Amino acid sequence: MSKILGNPRSLAILIICAAGLAISILGGALGNTLGFGFFSSSLPAIQLPAEKVADGFSTPIGKWNLMNTMVTTWLAMLVLTLISIKIRRNLKDVPGRLQALFEVIIEFFLTLCEQIAGKEKARRFFPLVFTIFIFIVVANWMGILPGFGTVGRIAGPEEIAHHHDAYDYHDPALATTTHDSHDSHLGAVKLHVFRDYKSIPVAALSPGSLEEELTFSQYEENNGNVGEGKRAGHLVPFLRSANTDLNMSLAIALIAMVMVHFWGFSILGFFGHAGKFITFKSGPMGFFVGILELISELGRVISFTFRLFGNIFAGEVLLMAMAFLLPLIGIIPFLGLELFVGLIQAFVFAMLTLVFASMASISHDDGDHH
Amino acid sequence: MGDLGINLPGLITQIISFVILFVILSKVLYKPLMAMLDQRAEKITAGLEAAEKAKEEAAKSEEAIQEQLQEARSEGQKLVTQAREIADKFREEEMAKVREELDAERSRAESNIQRERDAAIEELRKEFAGLAITAAEKVVKTSLDEEGHRALIEGVLNEERSRNN
Repeated sequence: MSKILGNPRSLAILIICAAGLAISILGGALGNTLGFGFFSSSLPAIQLPAEKVADGFSTPIGKWNLMNTMVTTWLAMLVLTLISIKIRRNLKDVPGRLQALFEVIIEFFLTLCEQIAGKEKARRFFPLVFTIFIFIVVANWMGILPGFGTVGRIAGPEEIAHHHDAYDYHDPALATTTHDSHDSHLGAVKLHVFRDYKSIPVAALSPGSLEEELTFSQYEENNGNVGEGKRAGHLVPFLRSANTDLNMSLAIALIAMVMVHFWGFSILGFFGHAGKFITFKSGPMGFFVGILELISELGRVISFTFRLFGNIFAGEVLLMAMAFLLPLIGIIPFLGLELFVGLIQAFVFAMLTLVFASMASISHDDGDHH
Repeated sequence: MGDLGINLPGLITQIISFVILFVILSKVLYKPLMAMLDQRAEKITAGLEAAEKAKEEAAKSEEAIQEQLQEARSEGQKLVTQAREIADKFREEEMAKVREELDAERSRAESNIQRERDAAIEELRKEFAGLAITAAEKVVKTSLDEEGHRALIEGVLNEERSRNN
């Protein structure tokens, strides 16, 4: 300890860390209750569905809107495509750094496929397994970059009220007529206050906004007046981690399970694979077990979907809460944690797909003889 | 479902997005990279095999060289021995020849000497006989029959010689 204190450089680092931690604790929401809270901003509105970035168009199956998770999905696709093109262009026998990195990862997964599914089937399963892994990991890691979930447009009170099924709500700041009464549950909903840069349609929660936040009822009492150059509403981030949208995780889960059964049918033949689920050979008990297996296949889709979604969504909420409680320094360890969780979830998804695929491609009859 | 954020247009969009990504990655990344990995594996296998073969061959040729060396050494040994034998024989022969020659030379010299000596002795005897006669002539101062004296002296000398021999 005295050695650390004696060295001026490590002493300086120690002091900076301590000061950062002090600012972190006092400046956040924790310090706000003690009368400090100079960095504290509102906790962004957390909602399960992805937020709408822009209105889309109507389709026969419902309205298509541009969601922030779609933007992130396409960004992740773009990143992966650019990396692939770069590797493809400089493909050499003696690899460069990027190529070597991808060779190591690909080799790792290929070996894994060969160990689990056998040498012939490995090449068949590998592309999907690896795409699942690399997409999820890139999407997850992109999600903790700065700007994700913190920069966006402002959703005004009317839009918020729509989300709460109060379709007849009128914003008192805009409405010319006197407004009618509103739902009682809407009155407790908190509104955040943003600086309104009229020309720039981009907003972020600024330090000190925690002091200014108010409920719907307070907003109405003020007749929609929250101060000069300020607007009330909720932040709708432009970017949100792709897998915090159930659509995304469900899409990957569906593709994975459809491919698993496609491989099952194509390797074992139609009756070979279907016979696992609908079987009359081993009596009524066997038939019942087959039906149970069919149901468990559905369960796999659901567990796939919610495992990935749950972990990444929880991570986002954790990061938001930590940025709210301990801004600046306090959030750093949790960023590391989210990097880890993002990688592990991607690996788990890919591995389970591989295991299900290799299980689906082995007939039950074979299994009995072993 | 709507409260969870699941909706058909969103779901289909994400499915299509993922499928597009899958196709792009398969075409651009996996196919060429896998082909290259396979090619490299082949190359390495071939290289290792070649190295193994080269090693074997080297060992084999080393053995052959050693064998040849051994052969050459024994051959050389044999040659040296043979040469020494020949040299010995040659020397013996030469020595014998020289010795023979020397012997012949010596015997020739000896016979020459003998002959010279005999001739000298003859000469001396003749001389001595003449001298003796002259001396006797002078001593007795008588003229004797030269023929009779010579015979007498001859007889004495022969007597002498036979005694000497």
